[in-house]
Amino acid sequence: MKKSLLLVLGLFLVGGLFLPVTSHAAQTLKVGIVDTYTGPATAFTLDVLDGFKLAADKINAKGGVLGKKIEYLTRDDKFKPDIGLNMAKELVMKEEVDVLMGTINSATALAISDFAKAEKVPFFVTFSKSDKINMQKGHRYVFMMSEHSEMAGRAAAEALAKKPYLKYWIAGDDYEYGHSIANGVWKHLQKLNPKVKLVGETWWKVGEADFTPYITQIIAAKPDFVIVATGGSGMVNFQKAAKATGFSKNMPFYQHTAIETSTLAPQGKNAPEGVFGTANYLFYYPNTAENKAFVEEFQKAYKRYPKVGALYGYLTANFIAEGFKKAGKIDKEKFIDSVEGLSLASPVGKIAIRACDHQLELPMYFGVTKLDPKYDFLTAGNIQVVPAIDYMPTCDEVKASRK
Amino acid sequence: MPVDAAWVLFSEKVLSQILVGLSRTTILFIVASGMSLILGVLRIPNVAHGSLYMIGAFMAYSVSRLFGGGSQGFWMALLLAPLGVAVLSFIAERALFQHLYKREHLMLLLLTFALSLIFGDLTKLVWGAEYKSVPVPQIFQGFVTIIAGFPLPLYNLFLLAVGPVVAVSLWLFVNKTKIGKISRAAAVDREMVSAVGINVSLVFAVVFVVGCFLAGLGGVLVAPTVSVTLGMDHTLIMEAFLIVIMGGLGNIWGALIGALIFGLSQSLGILIWPQFGIIFPYLAVVIVLMIKPTGLLKSTW
Repeated sequence: MKKSLLLVLGLFLVGGLFLPVTSHAAQTLKVGIVDTYTGPATAFTLDVLDGFKLAADKINAKGGVLGKKIEYLTRDDKFKPDIGLNMAKELVMKEEVDVLMGTINSATALAISDFAKAEKVPFFVTFSKSDKINMQKGHRYVFMMSEHSEMAGRAAAEALAKKPYLKYWIAGDDYEYGHSIANGVWKHLQKLNPKVKLVGETWWKVGEADFTPYITQIIAAKPDFVIVATGGSGMVNFQKAAKATGFSKNMPFYQHTAIETSTLAPQGKNAPEGVFGTANYLFYYPNTAENKAFVEEFQKAYKRYPKVGALYGYLTANFIAEGFKKAGKIDKEKFIDSVEGLSLASPVGKIAIRACDHQLELPMYFGVTKLDPKYDFLTAGNIQVVPAIDYMPTCDEVKASRK
Repeated sequence: MPVDAAWVLFSEKVLSQILVGLSRTTILFIVASGMSLILGVLRIPNVAHGSLYMIGAFMAYSVSRLFGGGSQGFWMALLLAPLGVAVLSFIAERALFQHLYKREHLMLLLLTFALSLIFGDLTKLVWGAEYKSVPVPQIFQGFVTIIAGFPLPLYNLFLLAVGPVVAVSLWLFVNKTKIGKISRAAAVDREMVSAVGINVSLVFAVVFVVGCFLAGLGGVLVAPTVSVTLGMDHTLIMEAFLIVIMGGLGNIWGALIGALIFGLSQSLGILIWPQFGIIFPYLAVVIVLMIKPTGLLKSTW
């Protein structure tokens, strides 16, 4: 008798676990952030988080979204796709977040993107650079707030095609990002200038500390120009080695994000001059009231200059807020419909999310590193603005890639 | 790139890559020798070794900033940062390690693993996540062309000089000092050493601190050539482990030979096959262990 009573009680208790907890409406608009908060990637991901917080706090101070405050939960994926996916599952299943965002790791982004599609939860990718995310593997629930490598490649090729170099060498980090940046530049450069030829390639492991032996080998091959596809800490490491060997003086080279503050600020005045680079955000350019206001706000809150990640995070918060406002209620499907094509004021001018591939249309800045009396680190000179429309794949190309 | 015949062996390219590879070897040797020393005497692979190297690099950044970030800053960092790491390791040893010497080895191993995680987070707490950079001191800025057409950064030349100095100092420590002799004895036969009335625990402490000092020194020396970042410990710990295994567990000279093989196979491998320069050092490890599974020199284990 006692046993069966216990059994029944137990069943009730276990059953209780599976009762839907949606009995009361959520009091907040919940955003779940999965990103890497351990290791070298943290230098970038904290900018996204701080930019997001800055915007969210401002929105909350004004009463939130549809009377609900934005609440965000962060999870550390330790740069591992499997952990990231589990974190995303936990955020959706247990925390019941309305929107997912994050990941600097493309493999993690792709894993979470699959899951977001199955669960029908909007997912904003805030730093990964793989073009697969919203091209080949794109779908209704994934949004791309960062430029993907294909775009970076096209923007750089646009600028490099006008230069007289013919014999190219490609060198880079031996992982997806490195290869896709290099391929992006090379594919389009060949289209724009059929005379260019590739004389050789060098690939090193991610996290390579000393580039000197690689650089001496490239010097020996005597190319006209080198496309350097490094990311993360490889950016600074390569620039330091390029400066120490005199490579940066004698050999013109390009790195995506070479002119980014995250690459130049740590090196102070010792960074090499004359390096070609592209970036989606520079805190000193464009010199507009909007950009100045954003920089001031960010500096006041965090005592440092905003870098590109800060812009990604800031805009993600704003698009989430405005999307739900436009939808008129907290409804994921309506939200997606209203974000498609939505255009907002931003520090770099009015910016939209394109409907066909959910790509944020950020302008790209192409420039050359130079000493700047105004700052105690190098900045970009000779800035050319490449508007998004010039370097984004067309909607037809996006459709074709998804077949 | 096809490789031509034997003349390639003595071409300028190869000589230049050897010079460059040797400077990388210096850092690897300094870190791996410290690891080997600890491994030989305490009988544990110090998993926290990479973290101490990282902390050494971050301390170098702080000290160099403190002294104005110029050349003076670098020299002060070279002096103070390894000492800082040594002090940190001394505290860890007296507070934690010494209570475990009588326990299973596994306990010590777990402790070093735990410490590596703690030190990693501690670094993030103290220095934040931003990349840091230590400038190359004024006198070592620029490069020399020993071999026509191949620049060798002056700083690499400085590293080439530091390597032998450290190697000789280590040799003196192990062979000429009393504590060095005792630690060699302890590495071979611990029971006997304590049986003749020597405080083994103290010997262990000294060896551990010296080993960690070397990790810190490696961190300071690498700082001007790279960006100082969280996670720089991971890359290095793998390489240091492989070098120690290749050279013979606990054998300092083995660490030297291992570092040479590792550094040179990388820089020369790049010449042979630039797309796959990565694999050559690991290939070298495999070949060495196939020929001599116990490592090149006599293991103290």
